[in-house]
Amino acid sequence: MFPTPVQKAAPWVRHAYTIILPIALIVWLLPLIGVAITSIRPSGDLAAGNYFGMPSRFAGIENYTAVFRDSPIGWYILNSFKVTIPTVIGAVGLACLSGFALAVYKFRANLIVFFLFVAGNFIPFQILMVPVRDMTLKAGLYDSISGLVLFHVAFQTGFCTLFMRNFIKSLPFALIESARVEGVSEWRIFRYIVLPLMRPAIAALSVLVFTFIWNDYFWATVLVQGQHAMPVTAGLYSLNGQWIAAWHLVSAGSIVAAMPPVLMFFLMQKHFIAGLTLGATKG
Amino acid sequence: MSRTVPATSSYWKRNQQRLAPWLFLAPGMIMFSIYVIIPIFESIWISFYDWDGLGAKTWIGMANYVELLDDEAFYTSLKNNILWLVLYLLAVPAGLAVALFLNQTVAGIRLYKSLFFFPFVISQVVVGLIFTWFYAPDFGLLSALIKAVSGQSIAILADERYVTLGIIAAGLWPQIAYCMILYLTGLNNINPEQVEAARMDGAKGWSLLWNIILPQLGPATFIAVVVTVIGALRSFDLVSIMTDGGPYGSSRVLSFYMYEQALSEYGYRMGYGAAIAVVLFMIMMVFITLFIVRMLMQERHA
Amino acid sequence: MADVTLRNVTKQFGAVSVIKGVDFSIADGEFCVFVGPSGCGKSTLLRMIAGLEEISSGELKIGGNDMTHVGPSERGVAMVFQSYALYPHMTVSDNIGFGLRMTGHDKAEIEKRTARAAKMLQLEPLLTRKPSQLSGGQRQRVAIGRAIVRNPEVFLFDEPLSNLDAALRVQMRTEISTLHQDLKATMIYVTHDQVEAMTMADKIVVLSAGSIEQIGSPLELYHRPKNLFVAGFIGSPKMNFLTATAAPAGDQIRVTLPGGVDILLPAGNARISEGQAVTLGIRPEHIDAYAKDGAILPAKLRLAEYLGSETMFYVSLADGSDIAVKADGLATAHPGADFRVGIPPKACHLFDAQGVAIINGDLTK
Repeated sequence: MFPTPVQKAAPWVRHAYTIILPIALIVWLLPLIGVAITSIRPSGDLAAGNYFGMPSRFAGIENYTAVFRDSPIGWYILNSFKVTIPTVIGAVGLACLSGFALAVYKFRANLIVFFLFVAGNFIPFQILMVPVRDMTLKAGLYDSISGLVLFHVAFQTGFCTLFMRNFIKSLPFALIESARVEGVSEWRIFRYIVLPLMRPAIAALSVLVFTFIWNDYFWATVLVQGQHAMPVTAGLYSLNGQWIAAWHLVSAGSIVAAMPPVLMFFLMQKHFIAGLTLGATKG
Repeated sequence: MSRTVPATSSYWKRNQQRLAPWLFLAPGMIMFSIYVIIPIFESIWISFYDWDGLGAKTWIGMANYVELLDDEAFYTSLKNNILWLVLYLLAVPAGLAVALFLNQTVAGIRLYKSLFFFPFVISQVVVGLIFTWFYAPDFGLLSALIKAVSGQSIAILADERYVTLGIIAAGLWPQIAYCMILYLTGLNNINPEQVEAARMDGAKGWSLLWNIILPQLGPATFIAVVVTVIGALRSFDLVSIMTDGGPYGSSRVLSFYMYEQALSEYGYRMGYGAAIAVVLFMIMMVFITLFIVRMLMQERHA
Repeated sequence: MADVTLRNVTKQFGAVSVIKGVDFSIADGEFCVFVGPSGCGKSTLLRMIAGLEEISSGELKIGGNDMTHVGPSERGVAMVFQSYALYPHMTVSDNIGFGLRMTGHDKAEIEKRTARAAKMLQLEPLLTRKPSQLSGGQRQRVAIGRAIVRNPEVFLFDEPLSNLDAALRVQMRTEISTLHQDLKATMIYVTHDQVEAMTMADKIVVLSAGSIEQIGSPLELYHRPKNLFVAGFIGSPKMNFLTATAAPAGDQIRVTLPGGVDILLPAGNARISEGQAVTLGIRPEHIDAYAKDGAILPAKLRLAEYLGSETMFYVSLADGSDIAVKADGLATAHPGADFRVGIPPKACHLFDAQGVAIINGDLTK
């Protein structure tokens, strides 16, 4: 193990480590801690210049209630779910199919198609912005949840296909050959052999895509204009404009908006990290 | 043993393996082509037009690109993008440092690792708002610290000299977390026997890190560099949230400037925006090509 | 009834030709083993018969029907893979019945066949387990069971025992042989282990670099190897090879061994020119370590291995070439001791400069 485990080091190193660790964490999360504390500060504190001290009283309930009562953030969050969940299902579903095709079959265009997916995944969004916006307008989907979902599904298919293809490649190929000798059709090989074995990959991708889409801001501003379809990222930004200097509300809103992916991360941590670090260990 | 099968079915049976990949690929490929592949070429094509997004397009050839050459704001954005690229890459060694710091097995280390990773899970919009608050003059935590140390107060996001650095620092926060998790996974997968063998050969500290550990972290480093470069060139959210390109456009980057030109309140210049996007795309293509070439080499070896 | 016939079958991977035109047939009910060193193309050939690899040119017939371009599922073959290829998410009985279920057999039939296979392979107590809960030998049995239920006309085995430990391998070897006797189906078996080939096969096909070196029964290959490759590959420990020169001597051939010792071999219909360079082959078990007369090569003992049932002596000749000698288990000697290598003419094989056998010292005659 590298570096040397502190258990094997001199006692003072061990003690120093146990002291430094929490301090480092607090410094690292200082901006976040500041925001969390601000979100439970009564507005009077800010007016009185008490920015850093202990909040004069716990005003969490009133701040968070105010955020939900006085702003459409609940609606924005609902929109975010309406965008995120169908996107996860769509993109992961399509990627299961295309990843299977690229991992299992040898055909001349295989690598070309694969690299098209990979490359498309890395391009700057801006090169797509004008045509996609125009296309969405023409299809009558501008400023709608489905317009946003369709684009996200298509774009995420690139990353998801890369992921799925590599995952299926790591399965023993003899499983597929064995089924072929047994006379199982290609679709049933996918349905009954490969798909059940893809569960961990599906879980990892779902968490990742959920986070990516939930946190998307660019496309939410490009493809959506009004409140009725606006997801929480763009919504929060517009609320920020209304809540000038009401930092206790901005903070509470930020924390509300960040909560779903954070919960997702803590519940599905293993899958999340497995997905994110794909390729970091081999090759 | 000759069986009679209907012609259609036998055609399917004979060609199943040849047709199946295309049937499996079709839905994903159609979606991806419509929304990603084709729009790239459309954008390039639009960049030769003058277009407000509604009316007729006017072919103006290279005029958009010629205009770029004389555009002060374009150079500011390009310069900022390079600054982003260079400074953002600090996330890679910083992530490694944090990973090395956390690669221990003391009680509760798993929770520490998760909490260190935290900033990456949060939306960039929230990160932007947090740092805007953190940097705010008068009541921001950082400003208070600077004031306590130097006696001066600096409004980071309102100062042309510091604004881009301030935004990049905000961007580094989640990016370091991302690199850290890549390296933690990499460190976790190093064969402990190799490290022990190296220790028995007398390697320790830096020489062990440099000669044994880092080469084995190659794949993690590669991915970290790739995602960091992409992140740097894609930077849009933070600029938009924290400064909206200001003060006086000094914190613009290409992606933001493009958006501004194409969809700003001063009138839509889709063609000009597309031209900026094409420039950004070309820069990114250099890195995408490198990435693909490396992957291709891996596929050949596999 | 399923005999398997290959006519001038080749396989190209791009510019590389992996199988360079093979011709042979396997009779119905025969146990045929493809053997050869790794990379010789034996697995590729098996996979071509299975339909998992396309046949680049030539013709494949199974049971008289042309199967050259037919999909794997239509060939009436079942295959047991080296890695077993068990579906990890299914129980043993689901694994065995999967192929039948997917090809639309009715439930009662699937259960009947699964039960029969499980009984045959002593898998009954394991039917509800998942593959991860099985030992290597049990997984192997499930893989075989999956093949049996389909009532194939031809069984294909791709190095099925290579992942098992030595003791289990011997046991499974006899089980597969028993299975063959019970089912009376055609079986094709790929291995790199010549002991497996010798013990199980009715017919062995020795392959090297994509071509057939020799086809024959185990004893044919042992006693009458057609060339140096087969002579060296079949038999354990390996045959000794000595470089020598030969000359005609009436109806005999005089072979001059290193150190100038002459040995006279019956010529048969072999033709030899004066002073022709040849290779003399003699198996370690045929060397006489206690010879009193005849062709005797003086040597020094380098190393002795005492196996109990037998003793292996590794000796060096005067010209530095090494020879292995198999003696009975009571023989002892110390390294450095003088050693007399007695070569019985009856057991000698002679190969020309191209490696083709001129004389086979066939002891069965």
